[in-house]
Amino acid sequence: MSEPIRIVLADDHELVLEGLRGLLADEPDIEVVATATDGAALLILIEQHQPDVAVMDLQMPTLDGLSCLAEIRRRALSVRVLALTAFSDGESIQSALEGGADGFALKTAPPRQTIEAIRQVAHGNLVFPPAARKWLQGRRADQPPPALSEREWEVLTLVAQGQTNPQIAEALSVSENTVKFHLQNIFPKLNVTNRTEAAGVFFKLQGSRK
Amino acid sequence: MHAVDEHLAARRILAVTEEELQRIILDIHDGPVQKLFAALSQLNALQAHAQHRPVSQAEWQPLVGRVSNLLEESLGEIKTSLGTFRPPGFARRNLLSVIEGLIIQQEDFTAMRVDFESEANLPEVSLPTKIALYRILQEALSNAYRHAGVTQARVRLSATAGKVRLEVLDEGRGFTPPPLVGPEATERVEHIGLRGMRERISLVGGTLTLESAPGAGTHIVVEVPVNADE
Repeated sequence: MSEPIRIVLADDHELVLEGLRGLLADEPDIEVVATATDGAALLILIEQHQPDVAVMDLQMPTLDGLSCLAEIRRRALSVRVLALTAFSDGESIQSALEGGADGFALKTAPPRQTIEAIRQVAHGNLVFPPAARKWLQGRRADQPPPALSEREWEVLTLVAQGQTNPQIAEALSVSENTVKFHLQNIFPKLNVTNRTEAAGVFFKLQGSRK
Repeated sequence: MHAVDEHLAARRILAVTEEELQRIILDIHDGPVQKLFAALSQLNALQAHAQHRPVSQAEWQPLVGRVSNLLEESLGEIKTSLGTFRPPGFARRNLLSVIEGLIIQQEDFTAMRVDFESEANLPEVSLPTKIALYRILQEALSNAYRHAGVTQARVRLSATAGKVRLEVLDEGRGFTPPPLVGPEATERVEHIGLRGMRERISLVGGTLTLESAPGAGTHIVVEVPVNADE
């Protein structure tokens, strides 16, 4: 069996943490490595444990989920983020997508959906309601195609396949620093701040470029 | 708008808001509360049985399944209430962004398809105008979903000559629109949503026209001057 998905959970409601932990105890492919009850503590845990996925409430004390997400992206932490919230209004979904979350799970949906979302996000999939993906694609379509070099397209293609920097470096026979350098150039050209958003743009552009 | 009219509109808006609150309370009462009560009753019954004799798997398994379903349904109903009434960051987002958010939400909650077109460069509108347009669209889409019997609607947002224009169209069953202004204006409870739309837009100096007929779909046009209420 492959390595379990390592996750941290963050929610200021102990009941939710307890419920999720209990449910995840029966899922051998997912391991909860730590839990936090506020955003500041979550950031420390992510740096400490380097989990695959952070599952976090969007409403939390000290640092709310969206600020936390911004900080994760600013520090370029490689963790994937699943937002977990009781609010499924359009604005919450928009904010999570704009902030670069990898997925959006609801406390008002059956908890097994959250578990499935953790798996999907860990595998590099973007987990959002279909209506939100339609909106995201429409928004990207309004923008002119970015002027990327052939090398940058290659890097972006691999990013969109969910590959990590070391994997991309190996595939292109370059150093990891070179990959980071390309990404630093690619993100502003695409007007994005992280890999997930970059992948979103890639999928949208794929058709028009061929 | 004339000061007296404005005063009247403000009073009517207050009444409409109260009636809307009433509707939310009733929804929670009729939905999740009944289901949570039923779920708790089932669990308590199981507890009581278990005190006297061992409970077999054949007994507890279907019961736990029923409780689980009741809880899921309650959460689902609460989801809609929370989403519908949570204000979408009006101060932070522009008109286009809040309207897009509302459409995502409507599609997500109802599995209805909303085709949306907008001009790329919409003028900035004041906060009250933004809120009015948002709540009007919310009511219009909700009506299309609940009453028109369609799973599809169209929304257009455009700007002309100092005005922002919002259009909502559906090809549903339509109805005979009641008078919304003047001495004949409808006071009927089922028209509260329509009255609310009309009052909201007049408070920010705009107009609402509603074209509909049985079998002919519904077409709502809202126009509001960009800076009327500054």
